[in-house]
Amino acid sequence: MLGFLGPNGAGKTTAMRTIFRLLRPESGSVTWNDEPIEPDDLLRFGYLPEQRGLYPKMRAGDQLTYLGRLHGMSKHDARESAFGWLDRFGLADRVGDPVESLSHGNQQRVQLAAALVHDPELLVLDEPFSGLDPIAVETMSDVLREQAALGKAVVFSSHQLDLVEDLCEEVAIIDNGQVVVRGNVERLKDSAPIRHLELETEGDPSELLEFLDGVQSTRMNGERLIAIISADTDVRGFIAHAQQAGKVRHFAYKTPSLSDLFRDAVR
Amino acid sequence: MTGFPTLWQVALREITERIRSKAYLITTGLTVLIVLGLIVAPTLFGSDTSESSVGTVGDGNDIIIATAVDLGNANDEPDEPPSVAIETIEYNDRESAETALDDGEIDAVLVDGDEVIVQSVGGFSGNSLMSGLQRAAGTVQIQGIIEEEGQQAADIIEILTSDPLETTTLTEGDPEDGDSRTLIAYFGLLLLYLAVLLYGTWILTGVTEEKSNRVVEVLLSSIRPWQILGGKILGIGSLALLQLLGTIAIAVIALRVTGAFDLPPIEIGAVLNLLLWFVLGFVIFAVLFGAAGSLVSRTEEANTIAMPMSMAAVVGFFVSISALNDPDGVVATIFTFVPITAPFVVPVRVALQSIPAWQYVLSLVICVASIGVLTVLAGRIYAGGLLRYGGRVGLREAWRSAAE
Repeated sequence: MLGFLGPNGAGKTTAMRTIFRLLRPESGSVTWNDEPIEPDDLLRFGYLPEQRGLYPKMRAGDQLTYLGRLHGMSKHDARESAFGWLDRFGLADRVGDPVESLSHGNQQRVQLAAALVHDPELLVLDEPFSGLDPIAVETMSDVLREQAALGKAVVFSSHQLDLVEDLCEEVAIIDNGQVVVRGNVERLKDSAPIRHLELETEGDPSELLEFLDGVQSTRMNGERLIAIISADTDVRGFIAHAQQAGKVRHFAYKTPSLSDLFRDAVR
Repeated sequence: MTGFPTLWQVALREITERIRSKAYLITTGLTVLIVLGLIVAPTLFGSDTSESSVGTVGDGNDIIIATAVDLGNANDEPDEPPSVAIETIEYNDRESAETALDDGEIDAVLVDGDEVIVQSVGGFSGNSLMSGLQRAAGTVQIQGIIEEEGQQAADIIEILTSDPLETTTLTEGDPEDGDSRTLIAYFGLLLLYLAVLLYGTWILTGVTEEKSNRVVEVLLSSIRPWQILGGKILGIGSLALLQLLGTIAIAVIALRVTGAFDLPPIEIGAVLNLLLWFVLGFVIFAVLFGAAGSLVSRTEEANTIAMPMSMAAVVGFFVSISALNDPDGVVATIFTFVPITAPFVVPVRVALQSIPAWQYVLSLVICVASIGVLTVLAGRIYAGGLLRYGGRVGLREAWRSAAE
């Protein structure tokens, strides 16, 4: 599962549209399994566009069956799969309702089902989490994890970096149409030049800073000191000093979050 | 699945979704009702006999009225009700007859066989009664002159009411078929015109709707623009043909049942020829409407962009109406070779048997070729226009941004 990140206007949607031959690349090429993508390959891909779109007056079940058939499924398989996904999203009783009569959240679920109905090898989802309530986010995350576990390639873009961090093994961060960071999330975090250090003591933790090397910036969050330090700083001496100074209520030494990597990459 | 099966899926969706929609059922029902009404109503409320009553004052009136009835009914079939019936009411003096005329009890007054009084000039039925009486009076006068020479009145009436010259034509075929062929061509012309304006608009708004509710991005992520456009045209076209043929069938049945109007014998060849040009004409316009629909994002804008096509249909319609009068003329010949007007003009010229074979074939080739070319051009504009939202997309812009 690949998280596809970048600030607004970086070219995420453009890149995704290019995969589906909706746009012609000015340079470069799109390949799948090392082969250039042919129109027939698109039938094995699933796409959730940023601008959601379904036929408003068409019944949910018919709509998904139709999209399945467009991807080459038999009528029976398409219907089975369409109903299966609607059932999965708790919409089994809405199969015969026009899409426009569904709530916004349910329309989103149908839209996701539309990307999944033909059991694609590659899922490309443009902002799948935007506008979803926490429960819908949970369903969406489950589906994505499940698809990845089935061996499907999943690429999605999002601005909710916590979710991306939670879901993805890999991320690609783009800025101005160029990939600026790409790799395994944990490894990227490990190889970052900085670490986060948090300390909360009975005394004023900022007095202990003189025992810490490589401090790049500090700030206080209530009584908690948050410092960004070089990754190569040895903090063992600092911990000993802190313990001598008084009771330590909270201590954390972390790799930077994905948000930090993101901000750093696109700055 | 590639190519045509996908196109067929798109067409199938168009057909099932539209048949299911209330709007389609209502318009179909209304069309059938209107057609039935137009055919059945005259037989319920009207009668074939034109009845009138004429007041008479003085002598010499009866023979004119009797002659008017004879002349009016001269071409009737023996088993049909008479075309003209005139009731006669005698008045003693001119004043009482004028009063009755003013009160609407009678339609006209004949005085002494040489004067006719009517309420006022005008109205179709008044004029037909007037001209009937005038013609009868003239006949009576001629009759008087010729009777002195010993001729029979019936012979005169025979001469005056029949077409004395026998008609033949230079082209092959029974001249009696000419009426039928012209009628079919005229009817076909009207249907093509209506179909282009009505169902062309369906294609236009259908394309714009798919664009405005963004479903087109989902579609284009799996299938090709030409499959969407082609499927739409096939689906809506089949539906159009179904609705038209259904309406015509109902009209023909109603005409046969009520006998309100005599149908000329219908030639299968003429109908097939008409069908061929109907399909060609519809497809040419449908492709253009489809491409136009992809250039706008909202249905409100769709009507504006449809203008050039609607104008072209109007031009085609009027050119072919003029071709009915002058099928060999320069105008008719030129527009035979313009792909968007040919489907209107050629059937008319075929019906009037005034198109040389080479012109027919050339026109057919031009039409089929231009459908091919237009589909490629329109397909590219369609593909380029579909994903550009917000306002109208220029033709050039759509052309250049197309992905193939």
